[in-house]
Amino acid sequence: MIRVLFFGPVADRVGQREMSFDFAPGMTLHDVMHKVGMLYPGALSIVSFVAVNQNQIHDKQLALNDNDEIAFMAKFSGG
Amino acid sequence: MNEPVRIQQEDFLQDAEIAALKASSQRIGGIATFLGCARDFSEGREVSEISFEAYGSMALAEMNKLRDEAISKFTLLDARIVHRVTTVRAGDNIVFIAAAAEHRAAAFDGCRWMIDELKQRVPIWKKEITPQGEAWVTPHP
Repeated sequence: MIRVLFFGPVADRVGQREMSFDFAPGMTLHDVMHKVGMLYPGALSIVSFVAVNQNQIHDKQLALNDNDEIAFMAKFSGG
Repeated sequence: MNEPVRIQQEDFLQDAEIAALKASSQRIGGIATFLGCARDFSEGREVSEISFEAYGSMALAEMNKLRDEAISKFTLLDARIVHRVTTVRAGDNIVFIAAAAEHRAAAFDGCRWMIDELKQRVPIWKKEITPQGEAWVTPHP
């Protein structure tokens, strides 16, 4: 199972904070982004950061593992 | 005393944070602090409340990394970072950062660096609630 988390403005656009996909061997981060993009067109346009297991990832071809946690995040505005 | 890096709903006490820093070393010659607080006006609009949201586990890990990096980069003797994640009103405290060093230059530089980096690196978002509605804040440089 791949757990997908949405926060702040991204969660507002998606309309939920969490969803999950069945894991399949060979699945990449790009595959998950594509699935989310198909389900929620435009929702990811404000995503500036993607984290896998709480580490920021720039390589969208990253191979995922079962039980990975992916977070889609807009620019931060804390402080 | 509490952990030096925290995310919490409740308010913090600057005096208590500074006392904890001072208790960590008697070599401290200066402590620089930054207190972020809520404004009642932003981008030409009145703001009645600010609501914070965080990716808690990642935010805490990143804040701990940030503190470690600051201590190493500026040769600080200790540092503390506390960020509230809750809904605040004008005047309420949001974030507290303190850098302790042997001399003031390192304390000032380390404190400034930590708040600047926090804004860039820590997954926390704020939403302003105004009489006209709610809006997520676009980051400021």
